[in-house]
Amino acid sequence: MQEELPGQVLDSEVPCRTTMDDSEETPAKDEPGAATSDEQLMLAFVKGSAESFNELFSRYKQPLFGFFRRRVSDLCVAEELTQETFLAVLRASVRYEANALFRTYLYAIAFKILRGYRRKAAFRAAFWVDRKRMQDPAGHDATDSAVLLQELVRKLEGTDREILLLREFEQLSYGEIAAVLHLPLNTVRSRLFRARKALRELLEAPAGKPCAPKLAEFGDSA
Amino acid sequence: MNTSTHPVAPEEVMALLDGELGSERKEFVARHVEQCSECAMVATDLRGVAQALSDWKVAPISQKLQAGILGSAQRRGLDGKIPGPRLFVRASFWGRKQWFVGLAGTTAVAALTILLFVPHRVLQKTNSATEAKTALAISPAVPQRSAPIDGNTAKLAGDALATVPGNGGGSGAGYAPRASTTTANAIMGVGSGSGAGVGAGAVDGQVDQLNSGPMIARTVSLSLVVKDFAAARAMLDGILARHHAYAADLAVNTAEGQPRNLQASLRVPAPELAGALSELKSLGRVENESQSGEEVTQQHADLVARLKNSRETEQRLQAILQERTGKIGDVLAVEQEIARVRGEIEQMEAEQQSLEHRVDFAAVNLSLSEVYKAQLVPPAISFGTRLHNGLVAGYHNAAETLFGMVLFFAESGPVLVIWLLIFGLPVLFLWRRYGRALDAG
Repeated sequence: MQEELPGQVLDSEVPCRTTMDDSEETPAKDEPGAATSDEQLMLAFVKGSAESFNELFSRYKQPLFGFFRRRVSDLCVAEELTQETFLAVLRASVRYEANALFRTYLYAIAFKILRGYRRKAAFRAAFWVDRKRMQDPAGHDATDSAVLLQELVRKLEGTDREILLLREFEQLSYGEIAAVLHLPLNTVRSRLFRARKALRELLEAPAGKPCAPKLAEFGDSA
Repeated sequence: MNTSTHPVAPEEVMALLDGELGSERKEFVARHVEQCSECAMVATDLRGVAQALSDWKVAPISQKLQAGILGSAQRRGLDGKIPGPRLFVRASFWGRKQWFVGLAGTTAVAALTILLFVPHRVLQKTNSATEAKTALAISPAVPQRSAPIDGNTAKLAGDALATVPGNGGGSGAGYAPRASTTTANAIMGVGSGSGAGVGAGAVDGQVDQLNSGPMIARTVSLSLVVKDFAAARAMLDGILARHHAYAADLAVNTAEGQPRNLQASLRVPAPELAGALSELKSLGRVENESQSGEEVTQQHADLVARLKNSRETEQRLQAILQERTGKIGDVLAVEQEIARVRGEIEQMEAEQQSLEHRVDFAAVNLSLSEVYKAQLVPPAISFGTRLHNGLVAGYHNAAETLFGMVLFFAESGPVLVIWLLIFGLPVLFLWRRYGRALDAG
């Protein structure tokens, strides 16, 4: 399984980045099988090793589900999108080439599927009110703090919000975020800072007080 | 915080905490953060945000979902097939498959619609042409209405008709295209003015004669490409003279810089058609040829019968006028009726002549094109003049377009505003709702 990867492959076994807060959803590197990189596992799966996919799945099932769960209010939809993403990976596995990190590849697929779902949901919402969504904005499985955070994060500008979530929860590097969202690296950095500043303002705002952060001001103060 | 007074931007502090700085810059920024209280505050704030977000946890993924995905992976391992997204029911927007099915369906519906609305007339024409060809094919002698035909004449209808056995049998190759018509007219008293003296027996004899063979009105379309246009033009005149044919319509186009072409509608005596066609084809290379025949036997027979009845009516009216006396009013009524019947007779005679002419003379639509060789001819107008003309034309066009737009909005503006209010506002409302929903995720 330890196959030699092409020269341009970014090996995901590089030492973990310094993060402000380590999430438990980050694929663990010290678990059995963690010695093999994601890309090597995927290449092995392409050649028929079902165990390799099991390992990949065990690494990314919870992060990917979290990716959708934090962006979609409906639990069932989040599960469906998670399944759709893994199925897309399975379907496209015959065409897989290890030109980039598997993680970037996976989240790019997930993001594409999420965008498709959002377009469809927004199209529906343009014509009629999504009662289910209004009644259950965060789902039954969400804690109070999760609900509050979701509401605050939702107030951020769309792209800023995505960059923040990809960085904080999916633990993607700036370059990976730029690749997934098709944005320049410096834009990712400045927008991430702006999102964090805006979220901090929202967190510090008194409860019940309408907090509409003037994002332009953060940029100016920075 | 200002980068002109601060050597480190707040984004760099954030990048330091995220581990996104290079080693050299990392040490510098780290030292600065230790010494600068303002940057240290930024770092603390950023850590606080990260800490707050860490409280946002989600429930673990369900076992059922895990089993489903792993089952799909196992199936891929077994047969290499993964269930695709269901048609029109998937999380994402339409993919290639859905678009393909949609377009294919639309195309099928469009094709069906076109098929259903094909003009009935076209179908009728096709059917009549087919019937005529069939009649020709089964006819033992084609055509033999007017004059004796030599063996070659049996081939006059071209390739499709060439299968007809050439048993014209006549040895005389002489031409008498108007013989039958003349005979018919004589029999029927055409041009006699009064129409008197036409015997029923004579008409019956004519009908019997007509029944001897089908009457076919032939049409031939021929497209030729010739090398020497002038010679071909002269040869065409010769062919027409030799075969007693004439050009009902002829147009020659000699546009500069383009190949010369000739469009002609020829009328060739039916017995001469084969020979004439053969000679016409020898003018150049045949690009396109089509032949058709329309059987008008029934139409002609009907016309003859109606003509016979009208003549008899006219005879009776003449007899009434001569033998009986009455009031002036009655006499005038009879004369009016005679005039009416005479008008009908003359109209029918004209139709009959036209019909017989179509049978006697085949219509040949000829198209002659020249094999064009471009010649280097210096432009008649200088470039400067053309440029000037172009600029003037461009100015006029621009002015016309501008005036046209102004006029359009002057004329249609109020209506457009109304339609905009009717449709634009709801669309704008929906678009905003769509945007808000998309932004809210």
